[in-house]
Amino acid sequence: MTQTVKTQQPAEAAAKTQPASPTIAIRKSCNPDGIGLSHYVLMDKKSAK
Amino acid sequence: MMAAVLNRANIGPALVSVDIGHDVYAAVTDPNTAFWALVDKTRIAESLAGGPLLDAYRNKADTFARELHALRFELKPSGVYLNPTERCNLNCTYCYLPGEQRSGGSHMPTETLLASLGKLRDYFRSVMPEGHKPRAIFHGAEPMMNKDAVFAAIDAFADDFTFGLQTNGTLLNDAAVEFLTSRNVSIGLSLDGPSADITDATRRTWGGKSVHAKVLAAMGKLKGYGSWSVIATCTTENLPYLTQMVELFHANEVPTCMLNTVRCTLPGARGVKPSDGDMAKAFFAAMDRTHELYRESGQKLIVANFANILIGILAPTARRLMCDISPCGGGRAFFALAADGGLYPCSEFIGLPSFNGGNLLTDGGVEAALASAAFQTVTTRDVDTFSPCNECAIRHFCGSPCPAEAYEMNGSMEKTGAFCEFYKEQVNYALRLIADGKADDYLWDGWDEDTETVFDLTL
Repeated sequence: MTQTVKTQQPAEAAAKTQPASPTIAIRKSCNPDGIGLSHYVLMDKKSAK
Repeated sequence: MMAAVLNRANIGPALVSVDIGHDVYAAVTDPNTAFWALVDKTRIAESLAGGPLLDAYRNKADTFARELHALRFELKPSGVYLNPTERCNLNCTYCYLPGEQRSGGSHMPTETLLASLGKLRDYFRSVMPEGHKPRAIFHGAEPMMNKDAVFAAIDAFADDFTFGLQTNGTLLNDAAVEFLTSRNVSIGLSLDGPSADITDATRRTWGGKSVHAKVLAAMGKLKGYGSWSVIATCTTENLPYLTQMVELFHANEVPTCMLNTVRCTLPGARGVKPSDGDMAKAFFAAMDRTHELYRESGQKLIVANFANILIGILAPTARRLMCDISPCGGGRAFFALAADGGLYPCSEFIGLPSFNGGNLLTDGGVEAALASAAFQTVTTRDVDTFSPCNECAIRHFCGSPCPAEAYEMNGSMEKTGAFCEFYKEQVNYALRLIADGKADDYLWDGWDEDTETVFDLTL
């Protein structure tokens, strides 16, 4: 994985003539109750069936 | 490569951009809050300079920071991993429990197990909201070696705990399966290969006998049951066969599996540790195959350890596994009870006496253990405070697992775990799935039923 700050490059500038793809940003929230670990995942939710 | 930060100290939170290897999208994140967005790669600079995305995020940044802080530092335990015996009938290459315990150790007497669960029930009642059942997972070494005690405990405390059992599967006869499934016990098995010769490389009896066929038989008995899973531990021995592994699981209607990197806490495991690059290549080929199988059949095989990374991105508080968060869940969301009554932050530490937080029945109990130096060493391991994690853009999607590994293999709690680069690649893969609108294909149906959407921006 690379983690870099992007500065505007020539190809980037040229691409700006194209419409931008829509930004995607989603976050969901709930009361945390996870207790699983890499040795075990508890499958006690309805969605497991 | 180290993340570089666009300094926005005067006008709001700092964001970093991350190349996720997608044709169209890059990610921008605030590592401090686990906020992320996917933006057109040609518009990164202007996305970071200002506009609707940043405006919307700034309105939520404090809320997200509080949410993440609560998840990382304010949980009370809601689960316990119970080791009803030190013994195991297998001698797996990578086991985190010492061999002398597994070969010649002791069972926890039934009356001690019952007394322990009584004390644990009282503890959980004191910290959990009314109406919420704590989880109790029989977990090590091989719980079915002490079956009578385990089954007595499940019946005695049916109203007080939601029970699970992680087993090697070799002792699951028809009667045991009937007992467990009729009581809705969540069952986990372990299998490391698509064929006996591959499984045998890491999982055999003390006498060297294969157990592959017995585990397949147990999988057959569980077919159609909702609450079961199979763990494959990924090592140098089975890495070339992961795609065949998921094909076997899918054919056997396994609802959930885990393709876990081998935990390198004890030296035996390090001898079969794959490289990060090899792990990533094999893992993503297997993930791609699960998706093909789903599209062909309509039947999902959820890979829980990856699903958890994906959920940690989409809904940080909805994680089911508490390894890929920092501090990890050990000693916070859950703890472990050893067969001798000792309390540990996690079963992974049971082979390390310095992490014993005292005896449940004869010392100060759970509260004393949680406050002990042994537990605090784990619960204060914070990726915000040590390098290179504190400069990593995805540190709160990863958590740098596992502290036991970091401590034993890399020499300090303030070191990364064993598979740093592989975790980064998993986050990239997950973000690419989100960019392509495929994330739900890799998650349990209804995974977000109990969640609320708190940020949804399409620009």
